[in-house]
Amino acid sequence: MKRRFVKSAVAALAVAGAMSASGAAQAQEVELTGPLKGAPAIRHERLYREGRFSIEPTFSFSLLDQYRRTFLLGGRLTYNIKDWLGIGVWGAYGLISSNTDLATEIDNPVTGSPRDPLTAINVNHTGDPSQGQAMGYAPFTDQTAKMNWVLAPQITFIPFRGKLAIFNKIFVDADFYVAPGVGIIGIQERGDCGPNTTVNGQPLLCSNPASFALTSRTKFTATFAVGFTFYPADMVSVGVEYRALPFSWNRAGFDSRGTGTNGNFPDQQVNSQDETFDFNQMITISVGVALPLHPTISE
Amino acid sequence: MKQARRWLLLAAALVLLPQAAYAQRKPKPPKPAPPTAPAPAGGTSAAPADADADANAAAPAAPAAGGDATATPAPGAGAGAGGDDICQITPDAPQCAAAKEINFAEEAKKKVHAEVYAVQQQYVIKARRFEIMPYYNFTLNDQFVGHNGPGLALNYYITQVLAVGVNGTWYGGLNTDSDFNFQNRRAARIAVPLNNYQVSGDLNFTYVPMYGKFAGFGDFIFNYDAFLEGGVGLIRTEPIPVIDPDNRKFDWNNYVNFDLGIGVRIFFTRWLAAVLEVRDIMFFDKIEALSIASGSTTSAPGTAGYANNPLNPDTWYDKNTHFTNDVQLQVGISLFLPTSFEYRLPK
Repeated sequence: MKRRFVKSAVAALAVAGAMSASGAAQAQEVELTGPLKGAPAIRHERLYREGRFSIEPTFSFSLLDQYRRTFLLGGRLTYNIKDWLGIGVWGAYGLISSNTDLATEIDNPVTGSPRDPLTAINVNHTGDPSQGQAMGYAPFTDQTAKMNWVLAPQITFIPFRGKLAIFNKIFVDADFYVAPGVGIIGIQERGDCGPNTTVNGQPLLCSNPASFALTSRTKFTATFAVGFTFYPADMVSVGVEYRALPFSWNRAGFDSRGTGTNGNFPDQQVNSQDETFDFNQMITISVGVALPLHPTISE
Repeated sequence: MKQARRWLLLAAALVLLPQAAYAQRKPKPPKPAPPTAPAPAGGTSAAPADADADANAAAPAAPAAGGDATATPAPGAGAGAGGDDICQITPDAPQCAAAKEINFAEEAKKKVHAEVYAVQQQYVIKARRFEIMPYYNFTLNDQFVGHNGPGLALNYYITQVLAVGVNGTWYGGLNTDSDFNFQNRRAARIAVPLNNYQVSGDLNFTYVPMYGKFAGFGDFIFNYDAFLEGGVGLIRTEPIPVIDPDNRKFDWNNYVNFDLGIGVRIFFTRWLAAVLEVRDIMFFDKIEALSIASGSTTSAPGTAGYANNPLNPDTWYDKNTHFTNDVQLQVGISLFLPTSFEYRLPK
């Protein structure tokens, strides 16, 4: 009986000891359920985007252009469902375009591309050699493609939100966003020409000066932008953005491809086979106003 | 049975062991102020033998007059004997006036403009540390020839915001002549002079005017800084013979270059960061002449006809130098040594 009692006592004490030993784990649990449990990473955060419309006039300029640079004036309208998510649209009009050095060099009437039968298919000129007419100078810059307008419905994701200090004096809130979307681009490029292209029932040969006229076309593509938005005040933002509009177009209006090995040789025709793929990159600068004028503040 | 006793002792020890933490003495409260403490009702001695017992017994009865701020009688809570006494004796004492006039509910509604620094303590101290930055650069502005290549930068931070250092980039064998050049030459019958780069090196000053932090997905926080750099150095280039490749064989030439850059560092740790920089290397370059000398290739050096000999290297270069911007995107990592540091002031 005594032995049984001792065994029971030992067992009870062992259980009690084990429970007591687990006291440290309980103390750890207290930390996890302490005042910071579930607390947000940032308290009293100014929610510059959530529930607000932002209206941003934009100015864009293209990068790495081969023949023609484009400067676009436009605007972006975004409704921010959350501080990290918005939907909107960016639209811009190609206000000004300028020639690159290469285009100017080709265009030069004296030192530039010769206007002779060897270049008759590719470089703008007067007189049709196929009709026995003498060739003369016409601006090469009239045949280079241009971007007229862009429309891009997009979703804006804002994964990063923070602040920065400049010279230890100026402190600005900022965020970083990624905006994928659909790009609809209105361009003008040299129209189709060649033995298989007819105008008024007549073939439009590419050596015909009339074939260098630009034709309006619309390109559809996926687009994306990444950028920073800075908030110097509750209602005003300043942004800088990089955007790519990847699509193929014939920027010079040359007959470059269509026949031979892998179609890498000229075929006396200008058509979609002569288009080359480009990322069509641009930088956009924006100044925005948000409505309502004051942001909400998180808990 | 003997064994059972041992187990019993062990179990008892296990039970008692964790209790040691609970049995730690409570921190001593500030000593009560003897003159103002009222005498116990029982009229017993005011100097008990056990100090702990004395403190525990005295604390609820008499708020401490000295010690830390928590012991100061709170306005409105001065119902204790000490608080009442003070206000009875000197009703114009500051704490008594505050107790009457301050409405805490109203005070709580007031907006407080506390001055808080945007970034209270910089994540990384760079002063008096070395930075080793291997990188790879990609050409941004030259669609004719890509001048990509690896490089290494070494900087020493004299202060938190200013560094002096050197960097070098190797391009040799990595220049890429674009297909666009060929297409353009074939279609327009006009050639664009092209140059290869071999190596460049610069002595630089780096200034770090911006730093900050971002919260990623509202979950984690990372720190970054942005820097400006500028310097002077040398670059070696050579023209690619495009206009007259049969006769022209160019050599490497050295040119002084100036470089300006702007970059951002994203810190993973206090000694490791990813670096993204856009740098413009500016220099006056010599390019291939667009025209070919019209003389005979048989004229010997020193003869009158050699001046127009297409084999004469003096006829190979364009007469003018051309200001060239080589804009590069540099992607790399930054290692700071020593890897640890100490803040001068507490957070």
